[in-house]
Amino acid sequence: MGHVYRFEIYPNQHSLKNVTANENALKKWFKDFTQTEFERIFEVRYFLVETDEKIEGIHAYASEVFTDSVTETLFSSESTNSEEYHGWIKEKGFTRPFMIDIGFRPGVTDNSAHAAKEALKLLPALKKRNLNVSSGAMYFVEGIDLNPEKLQKLTYEKMANFLLHKVTVTSFDELVHNTRLKNITFPNVDITAQQMALINLDINDSELSELNSKNCWALSKEELAHIKNHYKKLERNPTDVEMEIIAQSWSEHCKHKIFSSEITYSESNLPMGVKALGEMKIPGIFKTFIRGSTLKIKEDRKLPWLISIFHDNAGIVRFDDNVDVCIKVETHNSPSALDPYGGALTGILGVNRDILGVGLGAKPIANTNVFCLAENNYFKDNDISMPLLLKNPDRIKAGVHQGVQDGGNKSGIPTVNGAFVFDRDFVGKPLVFCGTVGVMPQIENNHNTFEKGQRPGDLIVMAGGRIGKDGIHGATFSSMELVDGVPSSVVQIGDPITQKRLSDFLIEARSHGLFNSVTDNGAGGLSSSVGEMAQLTNGADIDLELALVKYPGLSPYELMVSESQERMTFSVASETIAEFLELAEQRNVEASVIGKFTDSGLLNIRYNGEKVAELSLHFLHESLLPMKLNAHFDVKTKSAHWIKKKITKKSLPGNYKEILLDLFRSPNIRSHEHLIRRYDHEVKGATLVKPFTGSSEKGFSAPSDAGVIWMKPHGGDADNAIAIACGICPKVSEYDSYLMAEYALDEAVRNAVCVGANPDEMVLVDNFCWPDPIESPRNPDALLKLSHLVRASKALYDLSISYGMPFVSGKDSMKNDFIGVTAENEKVKISVPPTLLVTAMGKVPGLKTITTSEVKSADAYIYLIGEKHLNLKSAFELSELYEDYKIEYPLPYINGKKQLDLYRTFHKSMREGLIASSHDVSDGGVLISLAEKMMGTPYGMQIELSGMKKHELTGFFFNEGAGRFVVTVNPKDAREFEDNLTGHFFTRLGKTTNDEMLAVALDGVSVLAVSGSECMDHYKIQTRELV
Amino acid sequence: MTIKRSDIKALIITGDGINCEVETAAAFREQGINAEIIHISDLISHPHRLNAAHILALPGGFSFGDEIGSGQILALKIKYSFEAELKKFINDKKLVIGICNGFQALVRLGLLPKPFEAREMTLTHNDQGHFINQWVDLNVTPSLCAWTTDLEGMVISLPIRHGEGKIVFKGDELTQEKTYQNLYENGQIALSYTENVNGSYQNIAGVCDPTGRIFGLMPHPEAAISQWLYPSGKDKKDQKGFGEKIFSSAIKYCESNF
Repeated sequence: MGHVYRFEIYPNQHSLKNVTANENALKKWFKDFTQTEFERIFEVRYFLVETDEKIEGIHAYASEVFTDSVTETLFSSESTNSEEYHGWIKEKGFTRPFMIDIGFRPGVTDNSAHAAKEALKLLPALKKRNLNVSSGAMYFVEGIDLNPEKLQKLTYEKMANFLLHKVTVTSFDELVHNTRLKNITFPNVDITAQQMALINLDINDSELSELNSKNCWALSKEELAHIKNHYKKLERNPTDVEMEIIAQSWSEHCKHKIFSSEITYSESNLPMGVKALGEMKIPGIFKTFIRGSTLKIKEDRKLPWLISIFHDNAGIVRFDDNVDVCIKVETHNSPSALDPYGGALTGILGVNRDILGVGLGAKPIANTNVFCLAENNYFKDNDISMPLLLKNPDRIKAGVHQGVQDGGNKSGIPTVNGAFVFDRDFVGKPLVFCGTVGVMPQIENNHNTFEKGQRPGDLIVMAGGRIGKDGIHGATFSSMELVDGVPSSVVQIGDPITQKRLSDFLIEARSHGLFNSVTDNGAGGLSSSVGEMAQLTNGADIDLELALVKYPGLSPYELMVSESQERMTFSVASETIAEFLELAEQRNVEASVIGKFTDSGLLNIRYNGEKVAELSLHFLHESLLPMKLNAHFDVKTKSAHWIKKKITKKSLPGNYKEILLDLFRSPNIRSHEHLIRRYDHEVKGATLVKPFTGSSEKGFSAPSDAGVIWMKPHGGDADNAIAIACGICPKVSEYDSYLMAEYALDEAVRNAVCVGANPDEMVLVDNFCWPDPIESPRNPDALLKLSHLVRASKALYDLSISYGMPFVSGKDSMKNDFIGVTAENEKVKISVPPTLLVTAMGKVPGLKTITTSEVKSADAYIYLIGEKHLNLKSAFELSELYEDYKIEYPLPYINGKKQLDLYRTFHKSMREGLIASSHDVSDGGVLISLAEKMMGTPYGMQIELSGMKKHELTGFFFNEGAGRFVVTVNPKDAREFEDNLTGHFFTRLGKTTNDEMLAVALDGVSVLAVSGSECMDHYKIQTRELV
Repeated sequence: MTIKRSDIKALIITGDGINCEVETAAAFREQGINAEIIHISDLISHPHRLNAAHILALPGGFSFGDEIGSGQILALKIKYSFEAELKKFINDKKLVIGICNGFQALVRLGLLPKPFEAREMTLTHNDQGHFINQWVDLNVTPSLCAWTTDLEGMVISLPIRHGEGKIVFKGDELTQEKTYQNLYENGQIALSYTENVNGSYQNIAGVCDPTGRIFGLMPHPEAAISQWLYPSGKDKKDQKGFGEKIFSSAIKYCESNF
């Protein structure tokens, strides 16, 4: 195209003096993390508009679209008032500023630009014009010791990502000439498609291996041999498209090969109390322990509400008379390591699509999110230098948080539950768990909504986003290979609005019965979505040139495997296709018919009429034999930690108040309210229990145990709700991975029971994030890592069966390691601790059953339910903080059958209205839980302890374990409540008071007194700003 | 003659990233009226459908992802597709409510605080510089607003969920003060935060036009129609919440005026 205009949006004369919160935050960030002093930072957004011919009066049109006439003014390449503009810069206090310009690289998803283009085209004068838009930001800066090279580097550290953005720095002397407004280049994509090619596999092993890595197929030696053999029988060579489809379909990500492998497990040197599993041959972790548990529970309990498990994008259960509920949790770790914002955003939008693509499509109603991260302060305070190329963990935290915020908020889905977990070993690979709950009518148009119904002859329709180069071979390219004009294939940015439109359209089209089946396009792109759907009809024919693309020049294999976001694949009958496409157009959703489902047993792919792939579905999905792996459990075989430096910690304080307040400030206990309140947690008007609770007197800053969602606003029963809770405790893995998994499962269940969920109507979701458990020279303790996987899975099997709670969905991510070099050029490998997230979803039978964690009145009895753990040393959080506190075996274990009985009786008390408040005991132990219950209220607690010795107090206060609650009960209900608990451990600890003090006495002697507001102050150490 | 409740019709716009349409429609339906969710594309192709309605609601959400400015593109879309029909709707003395993103769109359309006059007010980024979700206390100041009659004089609690809720007036300080005074004296300031939550001018949370029929507010009444939704465990019960009164006020207005 011919003309490019540049439009810059400035505050007008009256708003010019305002310094924005973002500008202040940037100054502080650079000062804290880069020791760079900026005196002034001034942020200005801009748009580039490319047109094929000059447009008269475009400045006025752009002004109407881009500026707010009350506070802003436009300066552009069409402006004649450049003196006035120089005046603004002076007015802001600048004398000789540098200007940093951040533009998008070609082909990167630019949501502002998409919206801007749509907005410009609303104007009658521009409606018919050909326009391209690109957005950007500029920063005028002034400070100490700045130069263009340094500014460019700093910009890439904070405001820009090298993979996505192009940064240019202009010094003041050049700035006065305003060259950026005269010679404007638009970031256009310039690529050419490659023709389909045949690949000769009849070569020797080393050549084959080279071919494998050159093409980023990541296939194993056995798999390559299997493919070679297959094509030998066919007497032809595979095409590049076929090889790509095979590589995608057989990737660990899509095929879950480790979870399906045959494992031989053994163990030695078990510490005291660690459960012996004995030698085992496991036909497959998923088959044996996960699906195995669910099928057994389904049979034992004859569960009528288990509607759909394991064969769809998410599990579906019937916890309501009118609607079905489904749940899925995904991880997006590697993408988040490369681009924290884009990775987390596409993570949340991706799991939303899983829900949209379950059965005939469910509507997402709630999100959950759990982050496992490191904190920069840990490395700073302990003077540990980070391996090269690792991002500042605080930047990762800010990025992933913003991604989840935008993904949830802009889609109108409340984020109702989650957690922040910190450990130094998440510095290499952050873990980003995104979950979504959805609802669907049980029956619509005389059809079960949970059943997919595609038939041979149905048309294949791709709808939503277009295909681009983003998301081809995910993480395998390095940043050094970036060339101007070539879109980055490594990272992707989500587009929440395109997805929201697609999502609204999908539900509307479903209600009109316009399609027979749907699935999302996630990893593997069309090759996965069509590949999976084709299995149900046993075949598909595709004409790739019919797929809508972001720009021309994509090769056939790229069209097939690109993971470009916001796409779903529909199966539409020819009778409804016209109506389907018409509705899509009315709803601004792009859709194209790309082929037809068949029953030929083949995946046939053509490009402009030429056959580019003909794959047998049986070969693709069922011919691969499972791997055979060994696992050996011996905690002593763990490789040395990558941090060689001795970390010094403070010694255990002599007074409990200091310990309590230290704990309240520690990363895994303190409040993250300042981040969590940036998630919309109550859009849809159905969030009954929110992430924070408290009282109108003291505000709402105390933690809740679980999210509770009302079914009525979602078409369900008026007096029905579901609870969503999570459990995660990677810190226990190094002691006993079996126990770690039990704790995670129990914590999720207990949190749900805490708010009123019925333990007999509860389902689970498992998400494993493991360090690589495959043996290689770079992975000396792989057998141990795999044994952790076996032990954790066996624990899930055992405890879920004891609890009678089936897994309805799950996912595993198996390569969470970072391999790099230190500043001293030494090789370093950082593996995440074996981490398991369990999400529990349970039915809350009646709104009156809902119970929150905060104390409701004075003069109520306070109970600890569960054992006191006086003689154990299981205060994990103390061992994190203090030099002279060490964890000792045995650790508290769970008696599954007995625990379920406790949950049932606990729930009975809740239904009878006997429990005024309930809170789980988890990180930090009993004392933290008690303080959390009172610190959001005008009440206090008088705790009278007896029957324990003074030296046992540390254990009583801070030991962790599973299965415990602290509750308050009105004295009039105490008798009935205690009767219900017959046969279980419980202790009446004292009474609530009116004085806002947590006061503890042992045998009448005071051992601790601390006010609720002091606890809250320490708990909210990071939440000081105006929330 | 008074109109029957079931004959009162509310149109609730959706599409393009609006996302509170379901609960907003539910809040109207709880009043026994006929509430219909309509996609903005359908309204654009059939703008005369406004004629049959008594109430138009622009719900909360993230229309066009808040790109360029929250509510900005939605306002442009309305302006260039059914502005004439909307003007007629307003001149026919019908009711309009904009909640959160809907309020932002009404302001950018120029319907608030004074329809069809030069814009003097906008909603911009919170002082915090980011989105916030929290329950806030609000004074329902005596005003002309038809949407707050059932709450007038009370202190109420509602959730806010926005990143751009700070009200700013045009011009220098003196002009801003004058604009505010003028609105205040006109009885157009219908809702104010009891404390500074986002930097809004004089803690304004909601304003109406000089007739009191067009109302825009940042808090979400539709997310507080039942006390089950209150944030404190102690307050949760089977009773109507503060938010419900916004809708009941409007329906009473319809009953006495149509």
